[in-house]
Amino acid sequence: MPPKLNTLEDLKQFRESLTSREAKVTTTITICGGTGCQASGSVKVIESLKAELAANGLTDTVKVRVTGCHGFCEQGPIMVIDPANIFYCRVSPDDVPEIVSETIRKNQVIEHLLYTDPTSGEKITKEADIPFYRAQDRVLLSQNRRIDPCSIEDYIAIGGYSALVKVLGGMTAEQVIQEIKRSGLRGRGGGGYPTGQKWQQCREAAGDEKYVICNADEGDPGAYMDRSVLEGNPHAILEGMLIGSYAVGANQGYIYVRNEYPLAVSNARKAIEQAKLFGFLGDDILGRHFFDIEIMRGAGAFVCGESTALMASLEGKVGEPRPKDVHTVQEGLWNKPTCLNNVETWANVPLIINKGAAWFASKGTKGSKGTKIFALTGRVKNTGLVEVAMGTSLRTIIHSIGGGPNDGVAIKAVQTGGPSGGCLPAEKFDLPVDFETLAEAGSMVGSGGMVVMDERTCMVDVAKYFIAFLQDESCGKCVPCRLGLGRMLEILTDITEGRGKPEQLDLLEDLGETMTHTCLCALGKTAANPVLSTLRYFRQEYESHIQDKYCSAGVCRELIQYSIDPNNCTGCGACLKACPNKAITGESEKPHRINQDLCSRCGICKDVCKFEAISIC
Amino acid sequence: MQEYVNITIDGAKISAIRGTSVLDTAMEYGICIPHLCHYPGLSDIGACRLCIVEHIVNGKAKVTASCTLNVAEGMVIRTDTDRIKRLRRNIAELLVAQAPNSRAIQDVAVRCGVKQVRYPFHNDNCVLCGRCVRVCAEMWQAKALGFVGRGKDRHVDFPFGRKPDFCKSCNTCIDICPMTITPCPGPMKTGEEYLCLACEGQLIMADSLPGACVWCDLGKGFQCTRQVQAG
Repeated sequence: MPPKLNTLEDLKQFRESLTSREAKVTTTITICGGTGCQASGSVKVIESLKAELAANGLTDTVKVRVTGCHGFCEQGPIMVIDPANIFYCRVSPDDVPEIVSETIRKNQVIEHLLYTDPTSGEKITKEADIPFYRAQDRVLLSQNRRIDPCSIEDYIAIGGYSALVKVLGGMTAEQVIQEIKRSGLRGRGGGGYPTGQKWQQCREAAGDEKYVICNADEGDPGAYMDRSVLEGNPHAILEGMLIGSYAVGANQGYIYVRNEYPLAVSNARKAIEQAKLFGFLGDDILGRHFFDIEIMRGAGAFVCGESTALMASLEGKVGEPRPKDVHTVQEGLWNKPTCLNNVETWANVPLIINKGAAWFASKGTKGSKGTKIFALTGRVKNTGLVEVAMGTSLRTIIHSIGGGPNDGVAIKAVQTGGPSGGCLPAEKFDLPVDFETLAEAGSMVGSGGMVVMDERTCMVDVAKYFIAFLQDESCGKCVPCRLGLGRMLEILTDITEGRGKPEQLDLLEDLGETMTHTCLCALGKTAANPVLSTLRYFRQEYESHIQDKYCSAGVCRELIQYSIDPNNCTGCGACLKACPNKAITGESEKPHRINQDLCSRCGICKDVCKFEAISIC
Repeated sequence: MQEYVNITIDGAKISAIRGTSVLDTAMEYGICIPHLCHYPGLSDIGACRLCIVEHIVNGKAKVTASCTLNVAEGMVIRTDTDRIKRLRRNIAELLVAQAPNSRAIQDVAVRCGVKQVRYPFHNDNCVLCGRCVRVCAEMWQAKALGFVGRGKDRHVDFPFGRKPDFCKSCNTCIDICPMTITPCPGPMKTGEEYLCLACEGQLIMADSLPGACVWCDLGKGFQCTRQVQAG
C-alpha cells in the first residue's frame, strides 16, 4: 500500500526514500516508448533489452526506463545511456546484445548507432551535443525524458506534486490566480487567452458547481505535441488541473482526449489511478481540497477541439459549437462555469508554481511568455517536437533546429498553426514566433503545428488541401462555413485544374473576409486563413495558374506534362513496365515516348527512371 | 415583473426587456434585420448568420448574430453599416447560389441586395435552417427529425432514416419550412446567375427601403418574424 502523502515533509521524505532505493543503479538506459518510437519498433527493443540484461545478470545495476516522447521521432527508436549521456538512434532488437556487451559492460561507444548530423556529416556521441536539442529550451519536454509515465514515483522523484503541496499548504486561491497572472501564461491551444484571467473569471462566476477541463482533442494534421505531453508526462497535467481546480473552485475535472491516442488514454488512466492511491485525487487531498478527474474519449471530430463543441460532446450531445456570446467561464459544461485549458497550458502550471512567475515571465516576449512546443514537420532535415522560448525566430526553428532545407531545395514557406493557420514566406522567417506577430502576419501560433515547404510545394495546392480538410471537418451548422468552404474548394479546384478566372481571386478574398467575420465558431472564423495568407504572399502563383496555366512546383496534375528527354533515355524499359496506364511506348534500347492522352500524371515513371530522363514541364 | 434595460440600436435609444435577443427587440421596434433560421417561439441557434449586426465592445465593432445575442444594459448595436450590408449580402449570395429556386431564399437575397451571383448555381432543396428540427423537438417534444451527418453531408432526416411512430405527421415541419413556398415565376438557371425580372422589380423597392420595416412583401417569403406575428 503506497503512503498517503499529507504534507510537504511527507513528500520530501518519500522522495528521499525513492533515491535511496536506487542506490545500486550505476547505469540508466532510457528508451523512448512514445507512439512515434513504438511505430519504429521500440517495444521489441525494450523486450529484448530486458531479456538481455536479465541473461547477463545486470538487472540490479542497470535500470531500464521506458519514457514518453523525446521529440526526435524521426530517429526512433531512441536510446540514451546515462550517466555517459550516449545517444543511440534507430536501434533495432538485433543491436541489443552489442549494446549490452560493448556499451554497458565495456563503456565502448558503438559507432553505427550514433546520430549523424545531416548538416556536417559528423557522428555525435552525446545527446546534449546534438544540434536539434542544443538550440531548444526544453522545459516541458525534458521532463518526458526523465520519467516513466506509468510511474508516479518517477514524477515525484523529479519534484512532482510539490507545486500542489505548496498551493494547498499555504496559498489562497487568489494568490494562485495572481501568480498565474503575473507569469503571463497564455492558452496554448490556439486562442492565446490569458490563463490567469480565465481562471479569475471562472472563480468569480456565479454558481457552486464548477468544472475544469483539459482539452486533449488535438486534430491538426502533422501536430502531436499534446499527445506527447499527455503520453509522456500525465501527472504534470493532473497536477496542473488540481491546482487550477483549487483556484477556480471546481471539484470535478475532465480530460477530453481523442480515441485515436490509445497510449495517451491508457497512460492518463494509470496516472489517475496512481494519484488516487497516493491521495492526490479523491475526497481528501492533503485535508484541503477534493477533486476527481474523469477521462472522456472523443470520437474523432476535429471541431470538438473547439471549446463549446467539446463541452456539447462531453454532455453526450452532437459535437457542435454554440454561439459564445455567453462565455464558457460563465456557462459552460451543463451550463455551469467551466475552465477549459489545453494540455500544454495545464502542464505549465506546476512549473510556474514551483519556480515562480518571475522565472516563467523571464522567457519569451513582452506579450507572450514562457516556452511553446512546436511540431516541426515537412521539408527540413530534422523533424520532431521542438520546444523554444516564445519570440524565437522562425529562422532559428527551421534552420538551426530543423537543420535547413532537405535535398538542397530552397525552403519557400512555413505553414504555422495547423489548418486554420497561414503560410508565411521565407522573407518573413526573421519574425519572432509569438501570438501577436504571427497574427499580424496573417497566420497564428495556433496549437503549434509547423509544416515547412520548399519549391516542390504548390501553394494553391496547399490551400486546397487545407480547405478540403476543413470542409470535411466543419460541423455544417452555420452557412458561411458550410457553404463558404464548399465554394472556396470549388474555386481552388478550378484554379488547380486550369479553369481559373482572374476575378475569382477577388471573390476568394471577399468570401474569406465574410467567413472570418461572420462564422459561428473559431473553426469557421479562421478557416479562410490558408487561402487568405497564400493569396497575400503567393498571389503570383495563383496568377500563373490562372493566366499561364502553369504550376511552378509541378504538382497540379492538370497543368503539367511528363516528357522523356531522348538524349538521356537509354530505353531500359523501367518506366514502360511501371506505368499503370500503359502510356509509355518504345522499343528496347531506344528512347521511349509518353502518350499524353493516356498519361494520368502519377509521376511513377519519374520515380523509377535512373537516368533523369523524365522531366515535368 | 419585466425588467428593462437601455440599449442603442442604430443610434435609437431603446428600452428592451431583459432576457430578449437583440433581433427580437429590433423587430419589435420595427428595425429591419433580415433573418432566416430564426422563428418566433423557437430557440435560436445562429445558423444562417443573416441577422449579423455590429456589437460595439470597448470601442471595437464585433460582428455577431443578433438572434443569439441577448440585450444588456448600455449595449450599442449597429445593424446597417456598409460592412454589415456587404457581409450580409455575401451570405445571402451563398444561400441563393445553393438554392436558387426557393422563394424564401430569393426574397432574402433580394432584401440583402444581391444583384448578381458569382458562383455557379447548385439546386438544393434544403438550406439547413433547422426550423423543422426545432419545431418538432421544442413545440411538439417529438424529436422525430434531426440533423444527420457532418459538414457537407449534413442533412435533416428521421432517426436512422426511418419515419418513427412518434412522428404524428402533424406537418408543422412542412408549414414552417421556408423552402415550401411556390418559387418565383422566373426560376434561375445555371449559366444565368442573375435575378429574373420579377425579382429585379422587387429589388427596386428593396433598394429604396430604409432600415425600418415597412411590411414589405419580401418578408412573407422568408417568414419574417413581424409577418408571422401579425398573422
